[in-house]
Amino acid sequence: MNKILLVIRREYMTRVRKPSFWLLTLLVPIMLAALYAIPIYLAMKPLEKSVVLVADESGIFGGLDRDDTLRSDSHFASTDNIVYRYAATLDYAKRLMDSDKDVTAILYVRHRASDAIPTDACLYYKSDLPPQQVRYDVDKQLQRILRNRLLQAHGISDDEYALISNTKINLRTEDLETGREAFLEVKTGLGFILALLIYVVIFMFGSQVMRGVVEEKSSRIIEVIVCSVKPFQLMMGKVVGIALVGLTQFLLWVLLTGIALVGIQATNSELFQTATQKHELTELATKGNEATLQMQQADQMADIPQLIEGIASIDFGVILPAFLFYFIFGYLLYATLFAAAGALSDNDTDSQLFSMPLTIPLLITILCMPAMVNAPSGTLSVVLSLIPFTSPVAMMLRVPFGVPLDQLYWSMALLVVAFPLCTWLAAKLYRSSILRFNRLSIRRRKR
Amino acid sequence: MILEAQHIEKNFGDYRALDDVSIAVREGSIFGLLGPNGAGKTTLIRLINRISRPDKGVILLGGQPMTDGDVQHIGYLPEERGLYKKMKVGEQAVYLAQLKGLSRREAEHRIIQWFDKFGISDWWNRPVEQLSKGMQQKVQFIVTVLHEPRLLIFDEPFSGFDPVNATLLKNEILALCDKGATVIFSTHNMASVEELCDDIALIDKSRVVLSGSVTSIRRSYSRNLFEVVVLAGDAPLSLPAEFQLHGTAVGDGEEKLRVTLPEGRTANDLLAALMPQRQIVSINELLPSMNDIFVETVKKGGAE
Repeated sequence: MNKILLVIRREYMTRVRKPSFWLLTLLVPIMLAALYAIPIYLAMKPLEKSVVLVADESGIFGGLDRDDTLRSDSHFASTDNIVYRYAATLDYAKRLMDSDKDVTAILYVRHRASDAIPTDACLYYKSDLPPQQVRYDVDKQLQRILRNRLLQAHGISDDEYALISNTKINLRTEDLETGREAFLEVKTGLGFILALLIYVVIFMFGSQVMRGVVEEKSSRIIEVIVCSVKPFQLMMGKVVGIALVGLTQFLLWVLLTGIALVGIQATNSELFQTATQKHELTELATKGNEATLQMQQADQMADIPQLIEGIASIDFGVILPAFLFYFIFGYLLYATLFAAAGALSDNDTDSQLFSMPLTIPLLITILCMPAMVNAPSGTLSVVLSLIPFTSPVAMMLRVPFGVPLDQLYWSMALLVVAFPLCTWLAAKLYRSSILRFNRLSIRRRKR
Repeated sequence: MILEAQHIEKNFGDYRALDDVSIAVREGSIFGLLGPNGAGKTTLIRLINRISRPDKGVILLGGQPMTDGDVQHIGYLPEERGLYKKMKVGEQAVYLAQLKGLSRREAEHRIIQWFDKFGISDWWNRPVEQLSKGMQQKVQFIVTVLHEPRLLIFDEPFSGFDPVNATLLKNEILALCDKGATVIFSTHNMASVEELCDDIALIDKSRVVLSGSVTSIRRSYSRNLFEVVVLAGDAPLSLPAEFQLHGTAVGDGEEKLRVTLPEGRTANDLLAALMPQRQIVSINELLPSMNDIFVETVKKGGAE
């Protein structure tokens, strides 16, 4: 068997067999699945019955005396789980809270003579913070009641209000030639994610290469190995082996996360549905006003197709191959240099010192990201996406916005040309340093 | 000659690590590469292993200039040796053997035999870091000789071995020699040089300062010092003034004399002077030890 293949095989097998590899492989999908599942479970979790005492000095929230001329939806409306009771004064409410364990909180609206409309209210609790749903519901009802009182006082009908608040003018950004919409928010988000992802994988697997080289040096196995394998073969075997580990881990992440998400949806489909239904029902009950409900639904509906349309407008046919290309070549470019940094050092502390210069170009690119997003085709963006050391991150940030093909090809070509040059330099450094020890300490002694 | 290095020069920047170094190793012999620390031994060994290239000169293996493929005929046990700590012992040995060009099956077959011989078969599936240092050394030795190389290079092979295992190792090396392998020792251990080596080369300050067979080198350093044992007698011994007597030791009815002969006299002349007086038990020439020669030569080099 070819020696370089033997090295690749060893690098791959020893890493893939490590418990830490599987831990990370399993942990990431579990975390992603949890991110997805936890909100569902929280929403489904039946809320314990909470009683909120409303001590309203202003009388605006249906406190003091019941006014029959008011609309029915100008009071706090109780639901199955959250019950609102009115208390005449704050002191009375406090006493009630002491005697009744069911009381979770007191909502106190202070009335100042100077204010026509109260501007602040306080939710008092004792030792246990009221559940988030309760706080959310109190806030929602406060705003609703206040709004309805104002609407009534100014003689504005619900329909008029709906018309005013619902009417928006939509500003689009469109390419004059293709007539396609830009969907900048979606593209910015995607660009950031892709760029950071490239940055993370280059560093994660690049530093693995470096640690592998340092391990061989510090354990002195290198003295044995270089008699059978050329340093270049050893270096490239390590770089390629770890690249394969990275690809394996990546594929497993995608696969396992997919399975986990489908699994969560399949096993909990019933609960999932009831949860959403319940949510809608509570909303209906609380609002009691069809117009408001429709209004809000209309708002949400308007956002979703826009997002989908935005995603659909992205050219994944370019993004996916570009990502794979910049992942592979970006990693290769840096991995050989990381190997050289490892060869220059005797231990992990040294290697951190030697790898520092390598982190600078990528770090600069990351820091420039906000500026680049503002002008994806500006000079800064173009320059950074052409320089081989910054192009993997910079170009992935730009790609969702659409990059002129000639720039993309130039960037790729420069990266492809830079790779063997970098490897040549790294191999030279690696070869001359791999069997030298105590470089740093010699230099220190000379001073 | 299985290995010849001719007029080798190697520079690291301004520093000349090897200067016109030539050595010749006879097939089937044990060759000692001696020298103080930093003399250039390891540099020369790395050149032989083709880890680096000489700036001048050639290295011949079996009369032919060496090529990259020739490293398969060399087994090298470096002084600073290590193994992958987390890797399993058996797996690691197989990997290193495969890198030397053995097939997987052949490697496993041979390793099992060697492991049995050294009594470390039970450790096949243990990670290396659980092995004692001595056991790791055994594994490294096995890996060095496994591909049955024609030329074996051991750099300080006995350091870190207890006397029992050092003897085991020495016997294995001698057995490999009997099978036709040539051995190069790089060592400071002069006792083992006298015991094992046929030829040596002493490198000091990047140059070969002394080379040849151990016997002829020791003879050339002869100080004409003899030790004679005679039976004790009543009358005190008297020797001609030209024989320099360094003292006598009496015990068990015997007398032990140390005598330096003057230029031109031989052991026979000494015996002739002694025979009329006492009965001779034994006579030996006291040749300087390799250790003395080493220290003397290196000191002389330092004084220049």
